Amino acid sequence: MSISVKKDKSTQEDIKMSNENFITLLVVCVAIGVFLFASLLVPNFFQFQNMVNLVTNNWAVISLGVGVTFLLVSGNFDLSVGGIVALSGVLAVWFAQSIDGANALSSGGGLPTYLAMLFALAGAMAIGGLNALFVVRLKIPSIIVTLGTMMVARGIAQVITHGSQRNTNLPDDFGLLGNLTLFGTTIKLPVVLMLSLVLVAVFLERKTVFGRLTYWIGSNPVASKLSGIDSSRHQTYLYLFSAAIAGVVGILLASEFKSGFSNRGMLMEFDALVIALLGGIAIAGGFGSVIGMFFGAIILAVVTSAATGLVLSPDWQFILKAIAVFLAITTQTWALARRNR
Amino acid sequence: MRAVDNVSFEIESGAIHCLVGENGAGKSTLVKMLTGVLQPTSGTMTVRGISHTPKSTQQAREGGIATLFQELHVVDELTVLENLTLGLEKSWFGFQVKSDLDELVVKTLAVIEPSIDPSARVSTLSVAQKQILEITRAASSGASVIIMDEPTAALSEREVARLFTVIRRLKSADVTVIYISHKLDEIFELGDAVTVFRDGKHIATKPISQISDRANLIEMMIGRTVFQQYVPRQIALGEVILTASSLSNSILNDVSFDIKAGEIVGFYGLVGAGKTEIARSIFGADKYTGSIQFKGKEVGTSPKKAIESGIALVPEERRTQGLFTSLTIRENIPVMNVGKVSQNGVLQEAVEIEAAQKYVKQLGIATSSIEKHTEKLSGGNQQKVVLAKCLFAESELVLLDEPTRGVDVGAKTEIYDVMRSLADKGTSVAVFSTELEEVLGICDRVFLLYGGSLEEEIQNGKDVDIAHIMNVVTGGVEHAAQ
Repeated sequence: MSISVKKDKSTQEDIKMSNENFITLLVVCVAIGVFLFASLLVPNFFQFQNMVNLVTNNWAVISLGVGVTFLLVSGNFDLSVGGIVALSGVLAVWFAQSIDGANALSSGGGLPTYLAMLFALAGAMAIGGLNALFVVRLKIPSIIVTLGTMMVARGIAQVITHGSQRNTNLPDDFGLLGNLTLFGTTIKLPVVLMLSLVLVAVFLERKTVFGRLTYWIGSNPVASKLSGIDSSRHQTYLYLFSAAIAGVVGILLASEFKSGFSNRGMLMEFDALVIALLGGIAIAGGFGSVIGMFFGAIILAVVTSAATGLVLSPDWQFILKAIAVFLAITTQTWALARRNR
Repeated sequence: MRAVDNVSFEIESGAIHCLVGENGAGKSTLVKMLTGVLQPTSGTMTVRGISHTPKSTQQAREGGIATLFQELHVVDELTVLENLTLGLEKSWFGFQVKSDLDELVVKTLAVIEPSIDPSARVSTLSVAQKQILEITRAASSGASVIIMDEPTAALSEREVARLFTVIRRLKSADVTVIYISHKLDEIFELGDAVTVFRDGKHIATKPISQISDRANLIEMMIGRTVFQQYVPRQIALGEVILTASSLSNSILNDVSFDIKAGEIVGFYGLVGAGKTEIARSIFGADKYTGSIQFKGKEVGTSPKKAIESGIALVPEERRTQGLFTSLTIRENIPVMNVGKVSQNGVLQEAVEIEAAQKYVKQLGIATSSIEKHTEKLSGGNQQKVVLAKCLFAESELVLLDEPTRGVDVGAKTEIYDVMRSLADKGTSVAVFSTELEEVLGICDRVFLLYGGSLEEEIQNGKDVDIAHIMNVVTGGVEHAAQ
């Protein structure tokens, strides 16, 4: 037997692109490709304003996608975000409604707007805490726990709104945040917040210990423990982080429409999951990026808005989404397998 | 290289035939050939006069050879009877129909072990009873040869006795048993004949009655193996850094030892002797009673605390316990000492890259880049990455559990060099291994383990008596006392 230990001369020089960057680049290319393809089919699709709209119209789901992405990378699901959007919006409205309304649906806590919103955010984070408690301490699979808390959150919202919505007797400044436009343009505050969140998330993911811990825990939970990582604490932070984002999204939506609606954010948890998967995040954990998720959202947005542009009935949207998801995921799996062959 | 080379021997029908040999002697390879997992490149096998050339385990079973694996293949949620007929049910358009199979199985079970109730849930059975279940399944499917690979590794003494009764009943039912064990006492107690392997070669096949004693058997097993000469290190050992007294848990039994600064100690024993449990206890990953003092303080109750106090562990299973396979070499290395590559929670990429490059060079990790995903590295290089992780923690005590398992010879030597240079710098190193050659090659002091107890401590040197060591780790001390 020969002893051969290759000491490569160029050991450090040729740093190749990582699988993560490869997939992200692929997702970006697919997003551009899909956009160009849609521009061929749909009249007036290829316009700057339309590109802007693809991003701005989807600020809510992209924001939720950030929390969901971090949790997926750590090996956990969060299906509760849609429910939290409804709950925090309803809570904010309820707390802010004046106490002397004509009926039960028009009277609330009578708190100043900022306090009402703060308490609503606390309510949202309580759901996040509940997720962490069941997943981290009681070791129940996250898909089950968050499916449950999704219904808990929406259920509370429904009870508070008697199954419909609260939109009367609100202070005037309640509608401020959600409709504020910035820099003299038509771009609204929530969109700017979403973009900042994505930037912060990219920084967190690539440059901080917080981000690296997320990958370690998702990549190998046993090795993480044996390497001295407190994964319970980190996963708790992630659930609180995700719930806080969903809470803010819910409050901003409630402010935009000046109403707390128990059906708001319906199916948004699935959209957030879908854009994360479209963006190349591995469902097994330990792999993926926020940028990928962002462009996953663009792919989904192009498909749905192109469908509207083609005057397809909205009934077709689900089928189109399904086709986009299957195509994108198959492409990724194929490309990664080919690359690593 | 051949794992098994030109082996010929015969096994009498209806006998209990034992296979013995050190790790890597070729026993497992032979079993794999018999059961169709591997195909021999040359030679023939004959079972009861019929040529036996299985291409799969399925075909081996049809040829009458069944195997009792170390991992049990029973379904806890089902009853004994349901387990025994699992996969053999007769059905009619998806509906199960009653067959006389049940009756046959119940009869077989009654012969082999009447104390097991066929309607009991399998989750209520002990490990030995579950093994008996598997034996029954093999016997009722008409197997004429049953191979048992270390069946007693996870059993208590009483359960071993129960299993032996069953094996003897099988023999009286004219079933041939091929029994593989490191525990030599079992072989003397149970076997009719024994075949000894060494380095892939067949050494001897003899009736047990022709073997005078354990020493005789051990001599055949180890032969005149030349071990890599241990070179006593020219270093003055420091103070005692770790003291363990009366460690006990479900595996360990009143284990006490100490480790000095700058010393390389070895824990040597067979599979199941308690090596991993000692390592995990020191590292805070397993529960125990007794006390472990590290630098005068009780060690922590979690790996996190152990690492903070200056202890690092290279775990037994690198892929499942040590490595982050979806991440790159650079991203793997800092995990046990993140503070060193970060400032206020922000990663210092330059420090990280420098560290990765340093270890790639120092340990000779063969890779095109530090940005390579560790899942694409070979076993030896993966092990070096796990080692680099531990070195980066800059611990005062490094525990290595089977550090060279599945690693090629070149990488082995390099890993040993790293261990020696660590110790020369004053770090204490503890090696937990099933390979005697490894332990005697590098350790200053060796603790011999058997069945969860620390049997003996030996100082490594020229006059080490290998036959004596083998005797101790195969349970010879208790044997002599009986």
